[in-house]
Amino acid sequence: MVERLSFYLERNSPLHRLNPTTKLVVAFTLILVAFLGRGLFLPSLIFLLILAPLSFLGQVGREFLRTTLNLLLPLFAFLFVMQSLFYPGGKTVLFGFWIFAVKLEGVRFAFLTATRVLVMVSSFLLLLLTTHPGVLLLDLTQRGLPASVAYILASTLQIIPQMQAKAATILDAQRSRGLDTSGSLGRRIRALLPLVGPLVFGSLVDVEERAIAIEARGFRSSRPKTSLVEIEDRPLERALRWLCLLAFILALGSHLWP
Amino acid sequence: MAVIVIKNLTYTYPTMDHPALREVSLEVEAGEFVAIIGPNGAGKSTLCYTLAGFVPHFFKGELQGDVYVAGQDIRHVRLEDWVLKVGLVFQNPFNQISGAKFTVYEEIAFGLENIGVPREEMKRRVEEVMALTGIADLADRSPYALSGGQQQRVALASILVMQPEVLVLDEPTSQLDPIGSREVFQVIRQLAHQGVTIVMAEHKVEWIAQYADRVIALAEGEIIASGQPAEVLTDPRLPEYGIGISRYTAVARQAAEEGLWPPHQRLPVTLEEAAAGFRAIEETDYARLR
Amino acid sequence: MRVCVENVHFEYPGGVKALRGVSLIIEPGERVAIVGQNGAGKTTLVKHLNGLLRPTQGQVIIGDWDTSQVEVHRLAQRVGYVFQNPDDQLFCRTVAEEVAFGPRNLGYAPERVHQLVEEALYLAELTDKAEINPYDLSPSWRKMVALASVIAMDTPIVIFDEPTTGQDARTIRRIEHMIEALRQRGKTILTITHDIDFCAENFERVVVMGQGQVLADGPKERILGMVEVLAQTYVEPPQLTRLGMQLGFETTVCTPAQFLETLRRRLGHYRANGLGRSEN
Ligand SMILES: Nc1ncnc2c1ncn2[C@@H]1O[C@H](COP(=O)(O)OP(=O)(O)OP(=O)(O)O)[C@@H](O)[C@H]1O
Ligand SMILES: Nc1ncnc2c1ncn2[C@@H]1O[C@H](COP(=O)(O)OP(=O)(O)OP(=O)(O)O)[C@@H](O)[C@H]1O
Ligand SMILES: [Mg+2]
Ligand SMILES: [Mg+2]
Repeated sequence: MVERLSFYLERNSPLHRLNPTTKLVVAFTLILVAFLGRGLFLPSLIFLLILAPLSFLGQVGREFLRTTLNLLLPLFAFLFVMQSLFYPGGKTVLFGFWIFAVKLEGVRFAFLTATRVLVMVSSFLLLLLTTHPGVLLLDLTQRGLPASVAYILASTLQIIPQMQAKAATILDAQRSRGLDTSGSLGRRIRALLPLVGPLVFGSLVDVEERAIAIEARGFRSSRPKTSLVEIEDRPLERALRWLCLLAFILALGSHLWP
Repeated sequence: MAVIVIKNLTYTYPTMDHPALREVSLEVEAGEFVAIIGPNGAGKSTLCYTLAGFVPHFFKGELQGDVYVAGQDIRHVRLEDWVLKVGLVFQNPFNQISGAKFTVYEEIAFGLENIGVPREEMKRRVEEVMALTGIADLADRSPYALSGGQQQRVALASILVMQPEVLVLDEPTSQLDPIGSREVFQVIRQLAHQGVTIVMAEHKVEWIAQYADRVIALAEGEIIASGQPAEVLTDPRLPEYGIGISRYTAVARQAAEEGLWPPHQRLPVTLEEAAAGFRAIEETDYARLR
Repeated sequence: MRVCVENVHFEYPGGVKALRGVSLIIEPGERVAIVGQNGAGKTTLVKHLNGLLRPTQGQVIIGDWDTSQVEVHRLAQRVGYVFQNPDDQLFCRTVAEEVAFGPRNLGYAPERVHQLVEEALYLAELTDKAEINPYDLSPSWRKMVALASVIAMDTPIVIFDEPTTGQDARTIRRIEHMIEALRQRGKTILTITHDIDFCAENFERVVVMGQGQVLADGPKERILGMVEVLAQTYVEPPQLTRLGMQLGFETTVCTPAQFLETLRRRLGHYRANGLGRSEN
C-alpha cells in the first residue's frame, strides 16, 4: 500500500549528487549558525538566501516550500501570539487592547525563535528530500556507525508509513465486512477502538516474522559487509566541510564575544 | 556423498505437547532434488526449518536424533553464518521483506551486502536472478506495492541470489501463475544439475513428477513413503492422507476400474505417460475390432 | 444481483496502470473464475467490486449501485471479499468473533447472526476451533477462517482471491463443498485462482486477464482450450484438457467425468464402426 516510504524525491541534481555526510554537515552548520549567530535577521536570511535557492537547485523547491509551510505555520501562529503577548520584561509597547499589550521585545523574540526553528526544520527537510535514506545510513555506516544501529534507524524511518499501511489494511478489512468507519466524530473514534488491538498485535507478529526473514538473509553474518551503492566523496566536498567548520567557529565566536 | 543426513529426528515445538516430526530419517545427496509432499500440518515446514537451523536455534523446543548438513551437526552451528550454507525460502510470501530497503533491486541485494559480496559481482548476481525469476521490470518498484505473486518472486530471488550450497524451499510457487510455477521448477532443476542440493516442500505434483529426483511423503510428522516420483505419487494411500495426486493418476485409476488402462502398467504421473497409456488403449481397441 | 464493470481503468498512486479498460458483466448466480499471470490486475479488479478501490476512469455497478457513490461498508451488504493474504483480513481475538464480525455489522437479528456463524464454521470445519485465536492457527487454517468470515455475511455476491493456495487435497475438497453450498443458495461466485484444474472443475465461466485487460471470457469449455491466449498470460490449460488434446479429442474436456465420457464414446465409436477412427 505504501508507494513512498520517505520524503526522498528522485531527481538528477547537483544537490542529489553531493555526499550525504556533506549535506548532513551543511545542515548542522546552518542550524548552529542560525542559533548561535547574532542578528535578528540572520536565520531568515539563511533561509531566504541559502536554503530556498538550494531547494530549487535540488529541483525539489515546490515540495520544500509546501512541506515547510504545512509543518510550521501553525507553530508560528502559536509562537507569535504567545510571545508577543506574554514575553516577560518587555518594555516597548507597540499597541494594546483590552488587558493585553503587544510588546516589541516579544515580537522580536518570537520572530527570531520562529525563523531559527524554520532553519532547523527546513535544513533537515532539504537533506531528506534530496538524500536517499538508505544512502545516508550507508555513508554513516562506512564512517563507523554500527550496522545494527543503521538498520534500526532505517527501519524506524519506515515504521510510520508501515504503521499507516497496516492501519489502512485493517480498516479495509473491517470496512469490507460492514464496519462503518466514516461519519460523525464519535463514530470515527468508536471505529478507532477495534483498530488499536489488531494494529499492536499485528505489528508484534510482523516484528517476529521480520526478525526471521532478515536472519535468513545473513543479516547477522560475521563476514564484513559491502554495499550496493557507491558513495562519492570529492576533495571539493571535503573542503566544503572544513569551510562549514570554520563558519561554525565564527558563529560560536560571535556568540561568545561580549 | 550425502549432504544431508537425518537420523531418527523427533522434534517438538515448545508450545506443543506432541512432536511435529517423529523418527524422521533421510539422506540427500549433493545435487539431488528432493520434493516433500504431505497434507497441511504434516511437518513439511518444520523439516525445512530444521535443515536451515531455525529449529532448534530460533524455535527452541526439544530435538532428538541427529541432523547433519554438510558434515556439521545442526545443533552446534551458528545460525547467523549457517544461512550462507543453507538458504531457506519461507512459506509465507507476504512477510519476507527486510523492511530496510526502498526498491526491489536493493531488497534483493540486501543479503549480498550482509555477506560481503563485492559491488560489481553483487550487481551482476542481482540482475541475473531478477531475470531468472521474471521480475526484471520491477527493479525500481517499492517492495511493498507488489501483487501476491510478485512478492513471492522477490522472496525467492532474495534467497537464490545468495547461492547457498543447500537450498530449502517451502512452497515457493503457491502464489505463482501456472507457467511461472513450472519455470521455477525448471530453474531449480537446473541448479540441482549445477550441484546445489535442493529440498522443496510443494503441492504441485505434476511438476514434482517431471522435475524432482525423489519424493518424500510426510503425514503427521512421519515419513509414510519415499522413493522415485512415479512410485510415490501413485501410492494408493496418498488420498487417504489428504495428499493431492495429479489428475493423470486420478483419472487413469478410475479408467482402470473399467478396464480402460493397459493392464499391468503403472499409473501415469506425467502428461506423456498418461497420453501413451490411453493411446495404447485406443490402439488395442481399434486393432481388436479390425 | 448483477455486476457490471464498464471500461474500468485504474492507476495506483505510484503510477502503475493496473487496469486498462476492463469490461465485464456477471449475471446473478454465475460461477466465474478469473485467471491470468502475476500482476495481471486480478486482485485490483475485484477490489473494485467491493469499493476498496475506485476506478480512475469507467464505472462499476453492483445491482443498482455505482461503487463510486456508495461507501465500502454499505457495499458489504452486497459483496463479500476474501483477501488474497489472510493476514490482511483477520483482526479479531477468536475465530468465532472473527466470523461473527461481518454479519453483526450488517445488522442482522441475533438469531440470524448465530445461525450464519454456526453454518459458516461448519462448512469450513472450524467448529472445534471457534475459541482459538486465528493467529495461533497455521496459514492454511487462517485462510479457512477468512473464507468462513465472509461466507457468514450471506451476501448475494461472494469473491474469493486465491482460496486454494497452499491447501492440501482435503482442504480443497472442503472449499469445493463451500462453493457448492453457495451455488445452491443462488449466490454469484467469483474466484481468482492460479489452480487451473480447480478452476476447470468448479466454475462454468472463465475470464482470462493479462496486462490489465480481459483477454478472453466465456464458458470454460471454450476458454480453457485456447492454448495461445492462455500462454500469453502465463496460463496452461488444465491437465485433463491437455491430455485430451494430446489424444486428439475433438471437444475440450475439463473434468474427469468429461474426460472419461469422451474416452468411452471414442472407444464405443471404434467398436461401432470398426474403422474410421476420427483423426485430428
Ligand atoms: N511455530 C510453531 N509453534 C508451535 N507449533 C507449530 C509451529 N509451527 C508449526 N507448528 C505445529 O507443528 C505441526 C507441523 O506443522 P508444519 O507447519 O511443519 O506443517 P506443514 O506440513 O508445513 O503444513 P502446511 O501445509 O499447512 O504448511 C503442526 O501441528 C503445527 O501446528
Ligand atoms: N498497492 C499497490 N501499489 C502500487 N502498485 C500495485 C499495488 N498493488 C499491486 N500493484 C501493481 O498493480 C499490478 C496489478 O496487481 P494485482 O495485485 O492486481 O495483480 P494480480 O493479478 O492479483 O497478481 P497475482 O496473481 O500475483 O496476485 C501489478 O503490476 C502490481 O505490481
Ligand atoms: Mg508449511
Ligand atoms: Mg492477486
